[in-house]
Amino acid sequence: MYAALRDRITTRVAAWARRRQGPDEPPLTLRARRLYILPTGPGLSFALLLFVMLIAGLNYTNSLALLLTFMLAAFVLVGMYECQRTLNGLELVLAQAADCHAGGEGVVELRFLNRSAQGRHALAVRCPGARASHFDLDPGAQISVQLPFQALQRGRQRIERLELASTAPFGLFRCWTWLHLPLEAIVYPQPLGTRPLPRGGESRSSRESRAGSPAEEEWTSLRHYQPGDSPRSIAWKAWARGAPLMVAQYQGTGGSEHQLSFAGLEGLELEARLSQLCAWVQECARFDAACSLALPGLDLPLGQGAAHRTRLLRALALYGSGAA
Amino acid sequence: MNVPATKEPPLVAPRPGRGAAALSITALLVTAALNWQHLAWWCLPLLVLASALHYRAMVRGQALPGTPARLGLALILTAGVLASFRTLNGLAAGATLLAAMTAAKLFEARAIRDWYVIVGATLFLLLAACLDRQQLWRLPLYAFSLWLSVAALRGLGGGAPQPAPTLLRESARQLLYALPLAIVLFLFFPRLPGAFWSLSGDDSAITGLADQMSPGSIARLTESDEPALRARFEGALPPVQERYWRGPVLHDFDGFSWRRHRGEPAAPDAVKYRGTVYRYSLTLEPNSHRTVVALELADPAGAPLAQFTDDFQLISRRPLTQPQGFELESYPHAQRGGELSPEARRIDLDLPEDRNPRSRELALRLRAGATDDAAFVARVLNYLRDGGFVYTLTPQRLGRDSVDDLLFRTREGFCGHYASAFVDLMRAGQVPSRVVTGYLGGVWNPIGGYLLVRQADAHAWAEVWLTGRGWVRADPTAMVAPDRLSRELLQFGGGAAGSGFQLGAASHWITTLLQSWDALNAWWQDDVVGFNFARQLNLADWLGFGDRDWQTLAVALGSGMAAWLLWIAWSLRRITRPGRPDALARAWRRIDRRLRRAGHPRSPQEGVLDYCERLAATHPAAAAALAPLARRYALLRYGPPAAEADAEAELRGFRRAARRLRLPRAAR
Repeated sequence: MYAALRDRITTRVAAWARRRQGPDEPPLTLRARRLYILPTGPGLSFALLLFVMLIAGLNYTNSLALLLTFMLAAFVLVGMYECQRTLNGLELVLAQAADCHAGGEGVVELRFLNRSAQGRHALAVRCPGARASHFDLDPGAQISVQLPFQALQRGRQRIERLELASTAPFGLFRCWTWLHLPLEAIVYPQPLGTRPLPRGGESRSSRESRAGSPAEEEWTSLRHYQPGDSPRSIAWKAWARGAPLMVAQYQGTGGSEHQLSFAGLEGLELEARLSQLCAWVQECARFDAACSLALPGLDLPLGQGAAHRTRLLRALALYGSGAA
Repeated sequence: MNVPATKEPPLVAPRPGRGAAALSITALLVTAALNWQHLAWWCLPLLVLASALHYRAMVRGQALPGTPARLGLALILTAGVLASFRTLNGLAAGATLLAAMTAAKLFEARAIRDWYVIVGATLFLLLAACLDRQQLWRLPLYAFSLWLSVAALRGLGGGAPQPAPTLLRESARQLLYALPLAIVLFLFFPRLPGAFWSLSGDDSAITGLADQMSPGSIARLTESDEPALRARFEGALPPVQERYWRGPVLHDFDGFSWRRHRGEPAAPDAVKYRGTVYRYSLTLEPNSHRTVVALELADPAGAPLAQFTDDFQLISRRPLTQPQGFELESYPHAQRGGELSPEARRIDLDLPEDRNPRSRELALRLRAGATDDAAFVARVLNYLRDGGFVYTLTPQRLGRDSVDDLLFRTREGFCGHYASAFVDLMRAGQVPSRVVTGYLGGVWNPIGGYLLVRQADAHAWAEVWLTGRGWVRADPTAMVAPDRLSRELLQFGGGAAGSGFQLGAASHWITTLLQSWDALNAWWQDDVVGFNFARQLNLADWLGFGDRDWQTLAVALGSGMAAWLLWIAWSLRRITRPGRPDALARAWRRIDRRLRRAGHPRSPQEGVLDYCERLAATHPAAAAALAPLARRYALLRYGPPAAEADAEAELRGFRRAARRLRLPRAAR
């Protein structure tokens, strides 16, 4: 009941702010007109404390107690101004969202520039529902902030609204603004699937002999684990020794060619097919193997490398959305 | 797509930095120390111990005690407060409880919320100190405590932990910004004419005149330079021999000690006010006996909150725990009392039967030779003058029959001894009489323009009832030591047994210094500590707008606050204004200048790359020359951040390239 009410109010306020502020386009400078400020929980408690002090001072007609109370009240008011100043004049020079997999965490990169001669402290920015990223800005400094967001569904994910806030200098007030940036992340399918990677017509005999599973001793480099990596390629021995989850990369598998085909995956749902294709693309990229992708109405020829991989993944992400 | 709002994690940092924690603890200790006069003795050591343990746990990363231990501790501490004060009520007990609980809080201070509680408690302790004591010399200490507390508060705001010096510097600046508004609020925030409620039993342990007097038990009277009252006279000062400031009147004598008797309200015609009148404003320091000590004999009209008793004391209805101001008129030559009721006569003739037999004998002997009461009074005074008595502040102790001991054995004492003996003799001779305590004298402070009466001026004299003349003052000490009366002192410190400087003309500047300090204190007490609703209205009047009422204050308050808000917005805006543009922007500005000269101005809001595109459409040659630089600029500004050393080198390279830029002139 309470949560529902809060959600409704939040939605209303967000819509109101969106109408009021209009769309944002970096680079932009935050101005007072779009900054909002309210006391925090500790701020309200502090107000109560000041009220009790005021009553005590008035009741005992004690000038010194009143002077103390007024001094504190004025001090907190200066703090309120300072809190607003933390955001006022801050520049956002860049905003971009990286591609990511559904069900995982995407990353928005924001770059802020502080042109003023004063530092800005206790800043935090977040996507709705996600963890906040905290940062501080020295005078004249520029900072790049990565903030996570929850990638829910394959396709294009608009990040309608970011919240940028500061509680400096006391945590008694919280000044914030909403950023309505043209942020759009392309969300790849979740890399899932158990079917083996189909071999292309030109498959190498050397690979055949290894019976699918590369021996752990033969890897040439390690990189950090990413969702979708095959468990078979994880360097379990290193992990057991306390190292983070790493994935072994193998030389020698490069040069193999794979034709990945939507049509070849009979018996699976649409999303499951796309997930399987996505997992295959990942695997090919991991082994530095060439692959092609055949989707209904779209054929991507054989290719290799990061750009090719991105093209393939985007095609999977946007499959069925009309705009490929 | 829009993501539904879920419960979002807080934006506040979970823990304060070391600097903030250290500041909080320091502020707490300093503020508790400022309360030392009314905290229980174990409170400060407890706080120091708790701080030390907290610090150790913080440094070593040890765990703080768990919930059962903390609950037990809270119970023990509450019991401790009860054991020390027998109550949890009142300022002293409350402050002790608060300090003790804050010490317990230190054991569990982990989250930022705990630290807010600690800083809040510190501010409350500071409030308790302000409520308790308001002397001027404490002001810097209070300010220091406030400074530490708000600096600690600043450390709780989140963000990267800041070191204590930064926090202190920033909060000092902020306090300076806050001061004008605090003054505006102080002057114009409407005060209350009276209290909603009052704490009981708080008027103890304040030095000054006492409710009782036992001269025989005092072996050494220490003179205190503490002020007792200050009086600003309109017109002439009263002459030295009329500077009797009337305090508690003592009636009940047990042979050794004098005590007050609960006085009835005075009858309306009890005093005939006549003769010279002195108008003055009196600022009375706190005292424990609730008597408004005024020049004899005050018209009670000036103290509406006091009761005028039938022995002419002004008893305040409220405890005098704060310095208070009164506008009074006094008539030294007023006739005191018309009729003496049989009850009053009985009280003021009462003597213990079995005490001081030799004095009683002496009184009867002197009485026998006197024609009337006045003659008897004169004979007793003469006896004291000629009997070889000595005035001293370090008398011998007296026995149970204190008057006999004084008159026939020790023959030395101070005002209390002689007043006691005199009244005893009077009563033995059937003349109603009583002891009046108060102050005698007062020093003119030319800097402050007031008469200062110190605790060292405390005095005791007698009043006798003479039929037809009413109550008449008789000062036996003046017989023994005439110079006690005429001690017109320009110097501070009586130079007697207590502290004090014996000041000659050579140390005139010390006198001036001390007088200035006292005048400053007087100003503080009168105009700052004593600032109240009445003075607010006077101030509004003086400012000259509107009537003397709340609306005027509201207007003054509103305009003062508005002015402050504008000022603060302006000052902070000045700080927010962009500093010098960075090196990259400066380098591009040079390019911009050259573009303008070449006839291709870039509009200020246009992005560098956008500009290049626009230029390419009209002046492909210029655009081609500029494009590499623009790309480099965009990379430096918006590209992935490089390591510092690389960034420097990149920037140098960019500047070099910018200098080498050759632009073809625009076609005219």
